[in-house]
Amino acid sequence: MNKRVTVIGSLFFLFANQSYAVEGQLHGLVEISAHDRSEQKSWTAGGWGMSRFGTQSNVLNISRGVLEGRVDLSSAWSGHAVAQYVPDQNDKLGFTEAYVNYQPLSKRYQFRSRIGAFYPRMSLENPSLGWSSPYTYQYSAINAWIGEEVRTFGAEFEIKRPARRFRSKYDISFLGALYKGNDPAGTLVAWRGFTPHDRQSVINERVQFAPLYALMAPQLAHQGQYVEPFSEVDGRFGYYFGTHIGYLKKHTLRLYWYDNNGDPSVLNRNTQQYAWDTKFWSLAWRSKLSKQTQVIMQAMVGNTAMGARRGVDNDFNSWFVMLSHTWQNYRVSGRLEQSKVIDKDFWEFDPNNSETQAATLNIRKQLNKQWQLGFEWQYLDTRAEFRPPVGRDAQQQETLYRATAKYQF
Amino acid sequence: MKKFIGLLCWLGFSCQALELTVKDTQGQPLVGAAVWLEGKQWSVNDISLSQQYNMGQKDRNFTPHALIVPQGAKVDFPNFDSILHHVYSFSEPKAFELKLYRDKPQAPITFSQTGVVELGCNIHDWMLGYILVVNSGVFGLTDINGKVNLPLMENQLGTTTLKVWHERYENLDKPESKQLNIVQTNQKIQYQLQQPLLDKLDFLTDETDGYE
Repeated sequence: MNKRVTVIGSLFFLFANQSYAVEGQLHGLVEISAHDRSEQKSWTAGGWGMSRFGTQSNVLNISRGVLEGRVDLSSAWSGHAVAQYVPDQNDKLGFTEAYVNYQPLSKRYQFRSRIGAFYPRMSLENPSLGWSSPYTYQYSAINAWIGEEVRTFGAEFEIKRPARRFRSKYDISFLGALYKGNDPAGTLVAWRGFTPHDRQSVINERVQFAPLYALMAPQLAHQGQYVEPFSEVDGRFGYYFGTHIGYLKKHTLRLYWYDNNGDPSVLNRNTQQYAWDTKFWSLAWRSKLSKQTQVIMQAMVGNTAMGARRGVDNDFNSWFVMLSHTWQNYRVSGRLEQSKVIDKDFWEFDPNNSETQAATLNIRKQLNKQWQLGFEWQYLDTRAEFRPPVGRDAQQQETLYRATAKYQF
Repeated sequence: MKKFIGLLCWLGFSCQALELTVKDTQGQPLVGAAVWLEGKQWSVNDISLSQQYNMGQKDRNFTPHALIVPQGAKVDFPNFDSILHHVYSFSEPKAFELKLYRDKPQAPITFSQTGVVELGCNIHDWMLGYILVVNSGVFGLTDINGKVNLPLMENQLGTTTLKVWHERYENLDKPESKQLNIVQTNQKIQYQLQQPLLDKLDFLTDETDGYE
């Protein structure tokens, strides 16, 4: 399959009182990566490592495979699904997104709605196929966390004033969503901390983390050593609001307020998952300084808490700045970032303070339409107060190298 | 257009052309102005109708950005991108929509009514293109020097109406007009716009604006 496959369904069916041929398209990618592995076992294998590929990983692997399908049901309605394969943990296969999109043709203001499971569009770092990044292999800690713990299971509505249709320089849109099933979001912030990586969670996934000392305390006796980030625990709806503003596609701003409206006192004893009360602001900015060079920034600030008396109560913040430059068939991107988790609660047996600093440098070359080859270096420095109680150093440094060949169709 | 001139030459017609230069109100050469001649001798002919007209999509832009075609022409919409485009028009002369998957061309669309057809894409809303449908067989678009050569045959002399249109007009449905007396087929003519143009909207898009 060296090109996009066009699927022409032979079925005709009635949709919105009209008969349409079912048409669609399929895109995909495969990433083959060689790693200089971390010397620790990664959190995905229940270890203390802060990088995705640790002692449990193969030196050479298929780091990710993605199939993304679109089916057009009518002029306005389309169905979308993104399936993903990752080797960690135990060859995981699943869907990262599955939704229907409603986007009727319009002369002026554009209405759009998505219903199903999908990413909120907070990131300007992940515009590529399967929510991957055209800049670096490992996403910033902000978007790595969104990729593993934040997903909308509900309906999003957007009203947009597209610049072109108004002969204006400004695009402006407002979005809002109502959703369920994102209750344990925040667990990894508290008990693993922020870290840059590219391991997106699939729907219904269970993500492990290290065997923390705090989990042995009676107060946390019902908490599993994992998170099921997309599960519904308290039966309440969460929401987010956002706005996108663009200037001639040169400058883009995205501002979101996210609140999963979790009731931190509610626990599901079967799945051993609490509802976390998680809320944050996310502000993303991209400026194209020229046709070749762009700068991307994002900052997030928020709070997450669990337990009837908010026994875990953490503020968190994270930011990154990235510069990316293209030259012939090359793209070079460099990113600096810092994240902090600030423990505010009275549970002294469960220290959550952590700090993450990382520098990432990526160079990639587009060999032809399908193949891309790249190399990434990352320096990762983390300090976490949950390590000393099990006899580990609070501070931990890792230097990672990764070469990736990507095939996309 | 070069092909068109070549065909005329091959058919034994005069290879000479009317050279028209369009300038804006500041006197600067204007690129992308559509010009055509109206009148009986310059009306739509079989040769201009039999040309291949394409409005492609490449790198999430319409290419060409503007296309001028004679009334009754058929236009193809080839998609050179690997992604889907949902091309539409709400314009009076021709309202339509096409979902254009790569490698699956749709049947050409016939434009039988004159006027301006504004094209958009429902997926990539910065994409904007124009098809001008004109009641003429002598037409063209100005180049970067504001110049366009309109090939004329020996019998296409006399008094005609020159029409000039640009996408930065305030009112897109009102091309400017001027009476012209063509006395020879290789005449050189200058035309200066009567109205100021709206600001140029230069959208800067690349692959980081989304792959869909």
